[in-house]
Amino acid sequence: MQEFSQQVISGIASGGIFASLALALVLIYNAMGLVNFAQGEMAMMATFVAFTLISRGVSYWIAFPLTLAIAFAGGILVQRIVIRPVERAPLLTLVIITLGLATLFNGLAGAIFGYVPRSFPSPFSVETVNILGAFVSYRDLGVIAVSGAVLLLIYLLLQRTTVGLTMRAAAHHPEASRLLGVHVSWMLALGWGLASAVGAVSGIMVAPIILLEPNMMQTIIIYAFAAAVLGGIESPLGAVIGGLIVGVTVNLAGAYLPFVGGDLQLAVALAIIIGVLVLKPNGLFGRPTVRRV
Amino acid sequence: MALLELEDVRAGYGATSVLHGVSLAVPEGEIVSLLGANGAGKTTTLRSITGGVHWTGDIRFGGRSLRRMHTEDVVRHGIAHVPEGRGILTELTVDENLRLGSHLRRDGAAVRKDYDRVFEYFPVLRERRRLSASTLSGGEQQMLALARAFLMKPRLMLLDEPSLGLAPMIVRAIFEIIRTINAADRVAILLVEQNARLALDVSSEAYVLEVGRVAVSGASSELKGNESVRRSYLGY
Repeated sequence: MQEFSQQVISGIASGGIFASLALALVLIYNAMGLVNFAQGEMAMMATFVAFTLISRGVSYWIAFPLTLAIAFAGGILVQRIVIRPVERAPLLTLVIITLGLATLFNGLAGAIFGYVPRSFPSPFSVETVNILGAFVSYRDLGVIAVSGAVLLLIYLLLQRTTVGLTMRAAAHHPEASRLLGVHVSWMLALGWGLASAVGAVSGIMVAPIILLEPNMMQTIIIYAFAAAVLGGIESPLGAVIGGLIVGVTVNLAGAYLPFVGGDLQLAVALAIIIGVLVLKPNGLFGRPTVRRV
Repeated sequence: MALLELEDVRAGYGATSVLHGVSLAVPEGEIVSLLGANGAGKTTTLRSITGGVHWTGDIRFGGRSLRRMHTEDVVRHGIAHVPEGRGILTELTVDENLRLGSHLRRDGAAVRKDYDRVFEYFPVLRERRRLSASTLSGGEQQMLALARAFLMKPRLMLLDEPSLGLAPMIVRAIFEIIRTINAADRVAILLVEQNARLALDVSSEAYVLEVGRVAVSGASSELKGNESVRRSYLGY
């Protein structure tokens, strides 16, 4: 029982990381019906920015928000420069463009920082604390707290502010929103900025665990896809809950199913994606797509 | 000078031209109806004004040309357009739809008063505030669209077939409120309607479009009294 609850809490911590990246995917999917395949690489770039700041002597808790701000600006820049000119292009074109962006960022990071994995600092120690009989590391608790706080902030921004309201309006009904004076194109850019910042949180949180290198997000993004699909790709709340479920499931499968172990955890995520698409294509919180014929 | 002036406006979709030179004027504070058969170009005329379709010629609002202006900027100059299909954001709640109407306003106290008036005109919207707009009936959605347009505090409202698909009793209620808004706030209204009799009753002037051109225009009372106009263009 004690080991079980330890595995669950550690799964929630990974789940928070997946949830942040999944939320980034959902934000962009909502705004333009597109899965941004470059989301993981954008998060990786942001993590390198944080690494550079910290290794230049900037304190972690200043580097963290600073990196999010840079990631936010970077996301807006990507939307304005790369995405906006092809906004009305067919979906496949956009998909290829995000794949191209992923390759571009990956190569760029390799060229600038090299491919040698680096250790990334965490402000939380790996020492454990006894919570109701379960030994939980401060790092897991820290990851849960940070991703929880970020997700809550995004929720409040989207649901409780006027900017959030106009962002949601622009995402769902661009034409009707324009008639209400909403600058739809800028709202899309804001969505990209926000997604980029949330994604950066996942990169910064995961880097101390898996080491920082240009390919580090390539498995994480699969878990994030699983989370987003499970939650219903359109639902921000679904992305968060999906992230937690994927985190806990993968962790428990790794610990208790001998044939899964540490090597086949990714296969569990892929199984979740396939299972959801077969059994409940709209995910847990997605709305069924109805088309009038 | 009229509040809104269209001068020889031509517009269309791709290679298909729909408007072949429409000129009309909406004076400050008046209700003007735009009538005509299906496909005559009524909706396209409204869409030209708010930049939803490419047009040539000239459109002036309050003396300023709207040429090459984006929809969201036209709207910010004081034109509220309730489009075909009402433009309700069905993913959002009734309250959120209303807030999108007032989100650009900075006159907080007046906004609160306007909300009170909206709920006085349409008590059902107050009851349904927290519900998803998708749960509203057609008539309630039309009320929401009208309420939201009112909250934008426009100088001009463009209404595209507010009576479409609604029961006669609800249509009467809605037109009563259109009249009230026009009278109390001096909001000018350009009203597109299939129901010519209804439109001529509330408007002071009317234009009848036929295949993208103004076929007849004049005071609504005159058009109503003119037997041959009624028979050939208005079909009642």
